[in-house]
Amino acid sequence: MAPYDLVASLGVTGSYLVYLAIGFAFGFILESSGFGDSRRLAGQFYFTELAVVKVMFTAIVVAMILVFWSTALGLLDYNEIWVQPTYLWPGIVGGVIMGIGFILGGYCPGTSLVSVATLKIDGMFFLLGHIAGVVFFGETVGYITRFWHSGHMGFFTLPELLHVETGVVTVLVVCLALAMFLGFGWLRSAIYGKAE
Amino acid sequence: MKRLPDLRVPGALTLLLAAGGLAWHGQPSLEQKWEFMAPKLESRLQEREVYIDPAELLDLINDDYIHLVIYDVRSEPYWNEFRLVDSEHMLLNRLPAERERLRGLPDNAVIVLVSNDEKLATEGWKRLMVIGKPNAYILEGGLNHWLNIYGVSDEELDTHGRASLGKPDGTLRHRFKLALGDRHAASRPDEHLTPDREYTSRVRLLKKIEKAGGCG
Repeated sequence: MAPYDLVASLGVTGSYLVYLAIGFAFGFILESSGFGDSRRLAGQFYFTELAVVKVMFTAIVVAMILVFWSTALGLLDYNEIWVQPTYLWPGIVGGVIMGIGFILGGYCPGTSLVSVATLKIDGMFFLLGHIAGVVFFGETVGYITRFWHSGHMGFFTLPELLHVETGVVTVLVVCLALAMFLGFGWLRSAIYGKAE
Repeated sequence: MKRLPDLRVPGALTLLLAAGGLAWHGQPSLEQKWEFMAPKLESRLQEREVYIDPAELLDLINDDYIHLVIYDVRSEPYWNEFRLVDSEHMLLNRLPAERERLRGLPDNAVIVLVSNDEKLATEGWKRLMVIGKPNAYILEGGLNHWLNIYGVSDEELDTHGRASLGKPDGTLRHRFKLALGDRHAASRPDEHLTPDREYTSRVRLLKKIEKAGGCG
């Protein structure tokens, strides 16, 4: 039953090679999907370019279906997967800050690394800004510990929020994703007057 | 360049079908999850790797470097009658609610499940494994065994003596005139007054802890 202990079966070096291969494949797919181009990435906020939203949401939905089918069939122990605990208020503020940074800089942290890999200068500057932000945050978080730990809800997921079965949540998320794809397409047509 | 076929509609239908199938199939119950995990974990029960001697539990209770959690999974009347100091009353059906706490336990945490014999505690151990595989153990022989060692004074030997541990049926085989809870001498035996008892240590911490003392 997954997840497997790679270090136990492949050793430290072997497991690191697997992580490297996964990281490389992830970066390759991001770059192939156009995620290394800040104009494409920023375009999603203006409804001119919807590939990013579609690729990301499709990946989320496919992963969700695969994870929960695997647990349903006894192939994966879901409890062994790390679920980030929810800290509501810092989560919301952090999301807003990241959104502003995304629109201004044209990248999120992961995609800036992809753009650096293809030697894009704006990506390099974004990454420098990112590192500076990380250092600044690390040095100042001690002053906002109360806020940093506020709104703690533990390992809070959609089935717990909605009080419904995981499978039903999966159907809802798939419907939401499909509705969003259609809605964004219509919105783009309405704003720019052209069909995708 | 040849244009790729438009797979949006078939793709959307596939996602919907897969999600609908998942909703229809549902997620496994705790019992089904244990069946999935049993091939890996059942041997630990059969080889008694997780059953700890009462003397080892007493050492854990008195070890300040261990974050010890004792779950008493018996019904309330038994809990009221006799229990270990600092143990927590935790019925089996309430164990899933402990998931978050279990995930947040430190590396020096050890969980010990206790019941009158081993039956209920073993069920609890299986559930804990399903919930989150914490570093959990079972009190060997249960509280009946514990009371045989720490709960029967020399004077009592003539009256009710030691309880038989054969054919476990889930009952507390020692009789108490009053429901003493954790006020019985055996609820927390004095380690200096109890006889030394040899045992094979089975508890392994997730991470080795450095013990320090004195002024250093």
